[in-house]
Amino acid sequence: MTEKVEYWVKIPFGPIHPGLEEPEKFILTLDGERIINVDVKLGYNLRGIQWIGLRRNYVQIMYLAERMCGICSFSHNHTYTRAVEEAAGIEVPERAEYIRVIVGELERIHSHLLNLGVLAHDIGYDTVLHLTWLAREKVMDTLEAVSGNRVNYSMVTIGGVRRDIDEKRKRIILDAMKYYREVLPQMEDFFLQDPTIEARFRDVAVISRRVAVEQGAVGPTGRGSGLKDDARWSERLGVYPDLGIKPVMPQDVTGERPHGDVFDRAAVRIGEIKQSIELIEHALDQMPDGKIKVFAKDNILVAKLRNLVDGEGIGRYEAPRGELVHYVRGKKGSDKPLRWKPREPTFPNLFAVAKGVIGDQLADFVVAVASIDPCLSCTDRVAVMEDRGRKRVLTERDLIKASIKKTREINPDIRGDPTPVGLGCSR
Amino acid sequence: MEEQGKPNVTEDATEAFAQELLNEFPSASVEVRENKLGRKRVWIRVDRKEYKALMRHLRALDPEAHYSIGIEQDMGDHLGFTSHLLLTWRGEALSVLVEVRAPKDDPRIDDISEIFPIALQFEREGMEMVGIDFEGAPDKRRLFLPEDFPEGIYPLRLDDKGVSEDMVKNAGHPYYLKGGSKR
Amino acid sequence: MNVMSEFVYPVAGLIGLYAFVSFASLLWEGIDRKLVARMQRRVGPPLIQPFYDFLKMASKETIIPNTANFMFRASPVLALATAIALLAYTPMGFSPILAKKGDVIVFIYLLALISFFKIVGAISSGSPYAKIGAAREATLMVSREPAMMLALFTIMWRLGKLGISKPFSMGVFYVHNIWQIGTPMSMVGAVILLYVFIVWLASEIEAGYFNIPDAEEEIAEGLLVEYSGRYLALLKLTKSLKTYISASLVVAIFFPWGIAGYFGLAGLSADVVNLLFHTLKVFILLFAVMSVFRASTGRLQITKAVNFLWKNVFVAALVGSLLIAMEVIA
Repeated sequence: MTEKVEYWVKIPFGPIHPGLEEPEKFILTLDGERIINVDVKLGYNLRGIQWIGLRRNYVQIMYLAERMCGICSFSHNHTYTRAVEEAAGIEVPERAEYIRVIVGELERIHSHLLNLGVLAHDIGYDTVLHLTWLAREKVMDTLEAVSGNRVNYSMVTIGGVRRDIDEKRKRIILDAMKYYREVLPQMEDFFLQDPTIEARFRDVAVISRRVAVEQGAVGPTGRGSGLKDDARWSERLGVYPDLGIKPVMPQDVTGERPHGDVFDRAAVRIGEIKQSIELIEHALDQMPDGKIKVFAKDNILVAKLRNLVDGEGIGRYEAPRGELVHYVRGKKGSDKPLRWKPREPTFPNLFAVAKGVIGDQLADFVVAVASIDPCLSCTDRVAVMEDRGRKRVLTERDLIKASIKKTREINPDIRGDPTPVGLGCSR
Repeated sequence: MEEQGKPNVTEDATEAFAQELLNEFPSASVEVRENKLGRKRVWIRVDRKEYKALMRHLRALDPEAHYSIGIEQDMGDHLGFTSHLLLTWRGEALSVLVEVRAPKDDPRIDDISEIFPIALQFEREGMEMVGIDFEGAPDKRRLFLPEDFPEGIYPLRLDDKGVSEDMVKNAGHPYYLKGGSKR
Repeated sequence: MNVMSEFVYPVAGLIGLYAFVSFASLLWEGIDRKLVARMQRRVGPPLIQPFYDFLKMASKETIIPNTANFMFRASPVLALATAIALLAYTPMGFSPILAKKGDVIVFIYLLALISFFKIVGAISSGSPYAKIGAAREATLMVSREPAMMLALFTIMWRLGKLGISKPFSMGVFYVHNIWQIGTPMSMVGAVILLYVFIVWLASEIEAGYFNIPDAEEEIAEGLLVEYSGRYLALLKLTKSLKTYISASLVVAIFFPWGIAGYFGLAGLSADVVNLLFHTLKVFILLFAVMSVFRASTGRLQITKAVNFLWKNVFVAALVGSLLIAMEVIA
């Protein structure tokens, strides 16, 4: 007579939740504390970037791509640039390739440190969060010294890089690397030896190798599950083969076979920080002299690309979160692409981790989501918003207008002009 | 089918792969292009009837093939869906792109989510963004767009099914190029 | 005259204690935040930040969810009232105001009642996160209390054997203390029980490993998720009071010595000096159990915490109690 009754509860996790850094919704089916099912709902951060991209020229899209995400801004810009270079058949000077490597690896260090801190914060271990983020400040300062910005570096342009790394900047980078060589053993201590971290990360949110293959997991998520892939390595990208790139697997760091859990993903990140330091030092050492870009000015670039781009191009790069792909298709005579599509590493990883957490506890969910280092603002790209019954695409100026309107309601004395400053380019 | 003029004996795995694929699927168009970095990619264009069989064949060549991206696009009178795969074949990581097209008045393409499960999410995006109908897809809900987005409007379509002028609020915006949605 | 000694003095004493303990416990929260910030290489908030927080929250708009019933509003008040009542039974450097024979039962009962009211309030809010938090709090409560109760009753019983007027009263600790039993085995037992009480204290104040019911990142502060304004202020104050009271128990059992005797004080002035010295000891204990523990660990899953409390702490309580009670039984 005993009939099994299942007390399943569906709770929404997000779009706004203190454990998620960006708006995203998961609908969790729970049996007590155990997760039965996860449904992912995307689209809370849609901004219409692909739609806007159809109405911009190739150079303007570079800025757009850079602003898709604050953390991997270099990666997006870089990958988009690779796609256009492939479609247009542009060869990049070797010095520019080295500078791309240096900035890309600096970005990787900063992104991984950020994620490790977030992981610690999500298990309530705030001391590690503060110490990791303190270490992260150094690389942010270095990036500011190299590129002029802490976040959107704008280092890459189609056919090269915008800024050179001179002797002074080289010294700043080398100083930062020396600092990280001192700090990194501490990080290893935190993340590989600490009993709390081990208790919370080991065998949590296990993404098996099979699920990782099926869901196309990339980056530290895929490598943590034992998939030996790194886009820089498998693509033989630029000068990376000369620098001796190889995928960092969890067994290189922990010495155990890959479990596919949160711990392995964190371990891969630690290993990659180490690898990045080595890559930067080698790149600074081997960097040849020469030109840093093919086209001297952006207006020449726009005019040339109108004729050069004919056909399709794919850019693949290993962003800090995993393989990033940009696709560009253009036709001769137009300075706008016919299609531009980015695919962010979070997209497949999110579905992989949604499969991975089934059977775990609710307490592990935040850590599991954080362990793929989700970049949800990258993943959502298109926005059409509803305004009083009519569907509209809102763009920047509307938002500025709305913002100014709101400010004026609060304080009518504040002045602001929504028109863009300066003469502007050919928009 | 540019590589037919080349000698049959090639050292290069990419060329060999393209040749073998062409033998297997004679009706497909297989092309190897090299970019300035020296990276070769195999661009395959296949009829939609053979699409599923080709994908299954690729999966059989490498059971751990990595499905990176599905790109849905409006190609004028056709709707296209391009998939990028990373295959490990004879120790080489090959970059393979498979393109399939469907006419706009009959936009049906076979669903490949039973071969590559992650492809389902790209197909969901393709269904809502350009209106390709993936036959047999197990999950046809919207992925990115809100539930109350009007039916029959596909934001990335370049024709009149795209986002129309009156849906766009800021027609006087300096960034907005009038008529941009029609090319 | 009877009214004075039976009613007026205890009430005046209780109000005085309430004012002092509120101040001291909020001050401790400020000290704790500053110390943890320094351990994390941050600057940290000013010492009186908890007072600012309390005043600000008390003056903020209070939002009541539509789904909440009246217990949602009643339970913060009841929880605070329970905490104040508990002060009358808490040993704080001197025998509690209402020390009676067997008042240890009332102490444990009231301490559990605070958690109970928090759980009732959370369940009444209608939020799924609060319900998960309530379930976690209840699970943790039933896991941590048995070890503490076993240990506390054994100590009380053993000290009662040394000859005492009010057995099973909180005042016992100021007549005899646990180190006076004297046999080597009881010393070992006392050290084991100290470990039990320290873990119990950490889980009672939900620091470090045990910050599970209010986990901010997992369930959006769990029990407190729907509370705002005045009610949140009351709950935060209750939590501070509870921290002080729980630490007071541990201090009274293991470190009950006062300093008034050295200065030859007696009566009220002796109690005041002892209370201040007791507060200092509470702060030192909390520094080890709360600040350092919080800064050097993260939180566990609820299953791991429950496992730890039963398989490790409860067993330790059993062994410690046996060692203390051994020569009386034998």
